[in-house]
Amino acid sequence: MRTASRGRDTSKWAAILLFLPPALLLFSIFVVLPAGEAGWYSAFNWNGFGRPTRWIGFDNYRFVFDNRAFGTAIANNLLVIVVSLVVQLPLALTLALILAERFRGAVALRMLFFLPYILAEIATGMIFSFVYDGNYGLLAAIYGWFGAEAPHLLASPATAMPAILVVIVWKYFGFHMMLFIAALQGMDRGVVEAARIDGATGWQLQRHVVIPLLHPTIRLSVFFAVVGSLQLFDLVMPLTRGGPADSSHTIVSFLYTFGVMRMRVGFGSAVGVILFVICATFAFTYKRWFMRDE
Amino acid sequence: MAITRRVLLTTAALTLPARFAAAETVVKWLHIEANPAQVKIWEEVARDFEAKNPGVKIEMSFLENEAYKAKAPTLLQSKDRPHIIYSWAGGVLKSQVEAGVLEDITNAVGDYKDRLSPAAVAAFTVDGHLYGLPHTVSQVGFMFNNELFAKAGVDGAKIATWDDLLEAVRKLKAASVTPIVVGGADKWPLHFYWTHLAVRIGGKAGFQAALKGENGGFEGPVFQRSGELFKQLVDMQPFQTGFLGFKNPDAVGYFGDGKASMILAISSFYHTQRALSASKNGIGDDKIGWFNFPTVPGGKGDPADTLGGMNGWLVTKGAPKEAVGFIKHFISEDVQKRLAAGNYIIPTYKGAESGLGSDFMRNIARNIAASKYHQNFYDQDLGPNVGRVVNDATAEIGGGTMTPKQAAKAIQDAYVQGN
Amino acid sequence: MSRIRLDGNLAFRTLFLLAAAIFVATPLLATVLGGFKTLGELRTNPFGLPHDWQWQNYTDILLSARYWTLLGNSLAIALLTVALTLITASMAAFVFAHLRFFGSDMLFAYITTGLLFPAATAILPLFIKVRDLGLLDSYFGIVLPQVAFGLAMSILLLRRFFRDLPPELLEAAVVDGCSYIGFFGHITLPLSRPILATVGTIVFVHSWNAYLVPLVMLNNDRLYPWPLGIMVYQGEYSSEWHLILAFITLTILPTVLLFVFAQKHIVAGLTAGAVKG
Repeated sequence: MRTASRGRDTSKWAAILLFLPPALLLFSIFVVLPAGEAGWYSAFNWNGFGRPTRWIGFDNYRFVFDNRAFGTAIANNLLVIVVSLVVQLPLALTLALILAERFRGAVALRMLFFLPYILAEIATGMIFSFVYDGNYGLLAAIYGWFGAEAPHLLASPATAMPAILVVIVWKYFGFHMMLFIAALQGMDRGVVEAARIDGATGWQLQRHVVIPLLHPTIRLSVFFAVVGSLQLFDLVMPLTRGGPADSSHTIVSFLYTFGVMRMRVGFGSAVGVILFVICATFAFTYKRWFMRDE
Repeated sequence: MAITRRVLLTTAALTLPARFAAAETVVKWLHIEANPAQVKIWEEVARDFEAKNPGVKIEMSFLENEAYKAKAPTLLQSKDRPHIIYSWAGGVLKSQVEAGVLEDITNAVGDYKDRLSPAAVAAFTVDGHLYGLPHTVSQVGFMFNNELFAKAGVDGAKIATWDDLLEAVRKLKAASVTPIVVGGADKWPLHFYWTHLAVRIGGKAGFQAALKGENGGFEGPVFQRSGELFKQLVDMQPFQTGFLGFKNPDAVGYFGDGKASMILAISSFYHTQRALSASKNGIGDDKIGWFNFPTVPGGKGDPADTLGGMNGWLVTKGAPKEAVGFIKHFISEDVQKRLAAGNYIIPTYKGAESGLGSDFMRNIARNIAASKYHQNFYDQDLGPNVGRVVNDATAEIGGGTMTPKQAAKAIQDAYVQGN
Repeated sequence: MSRIRLDGNLAFRTLFLLAAAIFVATPLLATVLGGFKTLGELRTNPFGLPHDWQWQNYTDILLSARYWTLLGNSLAIALLTVALTLITASMAAFVFAHLRFFGSDMLFAYITTGLLFPAATAILPLFIKVRDLGLLDSYFGIVLPQVAFGLAMSILLLRRFFRDLPPELLEAAVVDGCSYIGFFGHITLPLSRPILATVGTIVFVHSWNAYLVPLVMLNNDRLYPWPLGIMVYQGEYSSEWHLILAFITLTILPTVLLFVFAQKHIVAGLTAGAVKG
């Protein structure tokens, strides 16, 4: 008995000591350490060569907040969130309610709507820079039918961001739709049937029975929309690179353009820390306030 | 099947030389020249060097101008960095020297440097040490299309002052000609306006005072005025539709296609506008014109002052010694004369400018020779960070999102903050 | 369901679906077809079928070394990332699922903090780290960070699945004298194929589409994965849209094929996986 238990102990510790270190090491070296170093580096004015030496305290944070383009980036990120909530979510929900039912072509349409989500952001951005191209694009052709000269949407500070928002909805609504469809299919049909027997029909049924049952999924969808918005980068690069005149930056494209491209390690790290604080604060408060039951 | 075989072959071709040709010295040369006609000559020069130096292989690679500037800071930190890189000298070069990624080539070059233009060599010298060799100089000014000017009744030869320029824009607009094309997405083509205005308004003394932080630095009256005059032009909407979305190559091609009457150009666009035009012919010698950047009444700058580049090649740390040999070969009398004859460059090799093949380029060479104050591009001269901010801020004036005052403040803030 | 009631609704629904389908499909179809046109036709007829199919646009790309190098790099990076993620994450998930020891909860919580932030937040220190390790311009300079940033999610998904396996299996195996490591290899892994496939697919798609990390870590264009390569291609061919569209089509083709064949895993992985994360 004792030997068996000792053997079991050895076996347990062998597994722990063999199985945990690779993941822990990788995670510590490439995730935790850089995150901590971002905090440290953000106190220096450093061009990345050698070791950081020019300590400037919190100045980098001041430089970040003084930068007009950073304000624009924050505003743009908020705009993306608003559009996700006001346009994308209702669109995804409506389509999910329709497509969760069985009829011919429903599955094919689901797949079509989901397809943009798996395309690379880079490819998507490029496809739409063609769509919006003032000389060759689809939009130019549509204007051409009416004999009008096409606007260069991506070349004007006033229209670049709205144009990007359309692409965001195009790319991501299918993902949210799939979330809802998965929830609808996993839903207790009994409740819905009972309501139907009670005389609830059509829109009433959706509004008062189905949608309330979807609330957890809606909260989840909002969560992903916000987190996704905070990471937005790949899509912006092929479309505008944050331009024209720095009007369409997101936090990450701002970080890349002003931090990485210029190798201002301290400044870029400060932006990273700010982004980290936003992400973490959001995740904690949202989970605490809105997703308590899950 | 055929495709698979091809893939295998090419993969093999890609990996083989690197692994098995250790006996060869490979010199990796990264350039940013987009004009195929010029690159072809460069390739011949490289092959020629290889023939004269058995066992040396020159490996050329290309990055587009903007992509290169974006990549350079990370590129230089890689152990796989190229041995020879392109440079505009100035503050960016200085910061690369400080970072310790360049090779001091003072001794390797020796007195060969005396054969080149002293001003250009000086630009590649930091604290008495030589880090690169210049192969060309250039001037910024207005390149125009005579035919379109004639349509609007504008005479390019008579545009001398800022008001003349504004008047010309007015006439061109009235004649439904797009007055100016600019690659606003790359930002630096817009920064030429602000900087050249500052060269005219403040002169050399104005710039040097700003460097020392006198007269309000880059926030002082000289630079505020530059921003205001630039804004005056911008407000007339002289640029092509969507100018903030055009990259510089697109803009140069647009001029080459004859779709706009002017471009505030680097003199080398004389040739690139052909390569980048749809027809590959561009605007011919019979139609192309040039006038120097207009003067500003009351400006302290000498009208002969110029804004322009001094471009050359740097050798990175750890490069084989053949790298210096190659740039010397590349900037030899023969090659310089050949490139000058083709009008690709204003050469730096003393005397090679006599071989320039067109009146247009000879005129540019004369302008530069006559200039006592040749201001390097601000975005290079002021160093990587400050230079970028000049581009950001001036592009924002162009886009109408910053006032001249805000722009000047942003630049001064960046300057105080340093690189 | 009463048919008559729905009919008024039906027209609206059909129209709505049709509009959404056109909105989604048009840019995609125009891209594929645009690749078959000449630049001139693209300008006059961007929507319709090509009058004269320019197969050459596509074959030129397919016969170029450039395209296959990009795809090969993307594939190598993605496969290495998937392999390393599955190995390290499944081992760690196994420990977290079955073995308790002092600090195990803390370590698990430690790993899950990885869900909190994207790689972008620490991209500059990450660059410095990769540089100091001498891994710039190498596959592993991209693979290792990608694996590290995907670990939290992968471990969560795998751990949940491992825990849901019948507990009698483990007890029986241990009584038979099987070690934990042996159990992991002989029982857990073979039974976990579906979840391994799902996690593998998510990781693959993420790596295949990734842009920021390769962009920062790579300078040598021989190592470029396709998202970097296509950006360079666009820079070079600036307004020759017919060629760019053909190139885009050929680079998204593998993703679309993967989607068609591994639909179940992708949808399950990307939606259900997200739900559980």
